[in-house]
Amino acid sequence: MSEPGDININFDTLKPEEFEQYLPELFASCDGKVSEDPRLQQLFAAHPDCLALVRDLETIAETARSLFEPEDDPSDKVWTNIQSKLREESALSSGQDGEEQLREID
Amino acid sequence: MNTEGQLMTQGPPAKPNPGLFKRNPPIAGEAEAIEAAKNGDAEAFSRLYALHKRRVYTLCLRMLGNVSEAEDMTQEAFLHLFRKIGSFRGESAFSTWLHRLTVNLVLMQLRKKGLSLVSLEETINPSEEDAPKRDFGSRDPVLAGSVDRVSLERAVASLPPGYRMVFVLHDVEGFEHNEIATMLDCSTGNSKSQLHKARLRLRELLRNPSSESPKPDMSTEGAK
Repeated sequence: MSEPGDININFDTLKPEEFEQYLPELFASCDGKVSEDPRLQQLFAAHPDCLALVRDLETIAETARSLFEPEDDPSDKVWTNIQSKLREESALSSGQDGEEQLREID
Repeated sequence: MNTEGQLMTQGPPAKPNPGLFKRNPPIAGEAEAIEAAKNGDAEAFSRLYALHKRRVYTLCLRMLGNVSEAEDMTQEAFLHLFRKIGSFRGESAFSTWLHRLTVNLVLMQLRKKGLSLVSLEETINPSEEDAPKRDFGSRDPVLAGSVDRVSLERAVASLPPGYRMVFVLHDVEGFEHNEIATMLDCSTGNSKSQLHKARLRLRELLRNPSSESPKPDMSTEGAK
């Protein structure tokens, strides 16, 4: 991954089209929020739509983190199938001992 | 390209990197369950299933977009876990390791079906009409600083598969671009670019929900 400063950009003359081109790298390399990057404040002041875009993308990325905590369980049949498969494999590989071990799962 | 074996074998024990545990802090009782499961303790394996089934299933569901396939892949992921848990050395959080295993299985499944690479290529080189719109200078409404989880989940589900995969891996699961590039067999530049396009598409979808394309079987109704 690129480190901040890897991109050679003249921030003083940056235009919206160039900004768009560099945006994936700016997001990837920025330690904090792109919307708060001091190098970009001049551009944002002149082009509020650029700032609006960045803030929207930041909002999406922040909200995405909340999706990490899941809400849905798989159905019970998944665990039943896992038990069944493991029992089969155990019976094949170690005979009766494995059967006894896997019976503990039930 | 990483193979399943590469992802499942961590080599000699190494000092854990604290940064790797930021999103996956250790769970109480998990370490003991892991060690017991390594010794073939079936009850311990059952505990690990209970601890991680939701996240593994949700990851599969988001990547595959289909309840039935997600359940099948959850089953496969835990069967692999049972067989390979002895190779877990603790350099990363267990859940990170398990998620990597799961992602790899899902990708292998997609490749078997001939879908993944096509989908990724589709988003690496999207057609004009498929590409996110560029709207600098427009005065479209912004997201007003908030997006609710349900709307975002729905929008993510309607992303093209390649966009969805990179977005889920990076923004939801917390993988780095270099990790995603390895998993998807693409460059880090491509991963960054796809993530950006995915976010742009999501912005469009969230501002204009009617532009969502119908998404197959993301409901979990009937699967419980």
